[in-house]
Amino acid sequence: MSAPDIAVERAANGRANGLRALLLNDAAVRIYAGLAIVLVWEIVVRLFAPPFVARPSGIAVALPAVVMSGAFWDNVGATLAAVFEGLAIAFASGTLVGLAMGRIRAVDRFFEIYVSGFFAMPMVAILPLISLWFGYTGAARLATVVFASFFSIVVNVADGARAVPVEFIEVSRAFRGSAVSRILDVILPASVPYLLAGLRLAAGRALIGAVVAEFFTAIPGLGYYIVFQARTFHHNEAFVAVMVLAAAGVLFEIALRHATARFLPWYRRGERGA
Amino acid sequence: MRRQESALTRWLTYGVALAAGALIWELGARLTTPTFLSPFTVTVRRIAEYFSTGELGRALESSLTLFFTGFVLAAVVGVAFGLLLARLRLLRVALESYIMVLYSTPMVALIPFILSMMGFGFAPKVLVVFLFAIFPILYNTVEGARSIRPELIEVAHSFRSTEWGIWRDVLIPYTLPFALTGIRQGVGRGLVGMVSAEFFLSGSGIGALIMRSGQDFDVPGLYGMIIIITVLGIVLISFGRALENHFAAWRGLDR
Repeated sequence: MSAPDIAVERAANGRANGLRALLLNDAAVRIYAGLAIVLVWEIVVRLFAPPFVARPSGIAVALPAVVMSGAFWDNVGATLAAVFEGLAIAFASGTLVGLAMGRIRAVDRFFEIYVSGFFAMPMVAILPLISLWFGYTGAARLATVVFASFFSIVVNVADGARAVPVEFIEVSRAFRGSAVSRILDVILPASVPYLLAGLRLAAGRALIGAVVAEFFTAIPGLGYYIVFQARTFHHNEAFVAVMVLAAAGVLFEIALRHATARFLPWYRRGERGA
Repeated sequence: MRRQESALTRWLTYGVALAAGALIWELGARLTTPTFLSPFTVTVRRIAEYFSTGELGRALESSLTLFFTGFVLAAVVGVAFGLLLARLRLLRVALESYIMVLYSTPMVALIPFILSMMGFGFAPKVLVVFLFAIFPILYNTVEGARSIRPELIEVAHSFRSTEWGIWRDVLIPYTLPFALTGIRQGVGRGLVGMVSAEFFLSGSGIGALIMRSGQDFDVPGLYGMIIIITVLGIVLISFGRALENHFAAWRGLDR
């Protein structure tokens, strides 16, 4: 962490506003808080926890070795590849089903109860069934990821397609737009904010799905890495993997937020998030 | 949503959809191997068996105790801490980015740590449910806190409102609807936490029944218990949603 550098830079920017502004601007406050959290964690673990428990200084010592090892990055790659592949499958199929549910009454009536049921179901519960179907393989992990993320996309896209203003459809009809154009040029773009909300939710669930599937099936990946290191009391090493997972989650959240702000500046978040 | 529909049509539709689904399931299972898909009727019979031996009741009781202990703790701590952050701007600025990070971290990843530090027992499982449920609650409460217009508090001050008055008339009413959105999300996540804890820490409740059915290749039992946990999820989440909708009118949203 290059906290001091950032602090110095902020200090240069804030000099005009006097010492108080320099020491108490928002960014500086965040950095102090971060340092305080790290410090408290270190002290508490040193005083009260057994020596194998992860603590900041231990993680800092373990970090170079973990980051330099190829095996670690293989695990990162395996997990993230499964997450992206699963998200892509869920995204494509979920958007299709969601559009159908949002626009076709009969489809909605039939699937509504199933989709909301599966959406409400804690997805971990299906792991034993998935391992029965797919064995203890990468396919089981992919299936878990797809299952975990599919329904949040369907639910959101269906809501979005349902919420398209009638006037939009009427205008498209009045200009004799084809049914295909109505879907691609009107309904789909109008549902994009919902789609992004669904995708954000799906991404979080997909990450959980991948990790849980690795816990359960013991196939190589970050989840298994964490279990293995934690069982052999290498908590510091295991925590590096947790940090990678957290970074993946945060990066995805930030990327989606930026995409929303960049492409849909009129859309305000927070209202709907699920 | 389709408000023009009567409740009767709605439930009839659900009934027909469920019956059709059960029929497809039954036929599909009869035509394929029972190792992968047990017929609907066999599954229902297995649920009834579990129910009549009292095993299901005991498992549900144990699971719900776990869920509510962790969830209520998370709701109390999350909402109280969120309100505190609403009042103390400096503390909110200091902590909100860290709360956001924890909100997007998959908490399952911490289960192996909890296992090797706290071992088996009730407390580590409650901690898992708590960790799963608290961050959506905290995150949404802070989000609500951030949207409080400072003028509101200034006006309260100029009218010589007491500290308690500010809490009672501005902070709590303003933040509560957001907190309830968080509570609804927390229900879903807490359930995932509950099942994960029952799977990966000491086996108990519905999670243990699912796990055991899987290991014994008791396919009807496996499907049956998955249905039970799904119904449990639907009931708890509908409850959370009803609670949220009740207060959403307050926030001025038509959800």
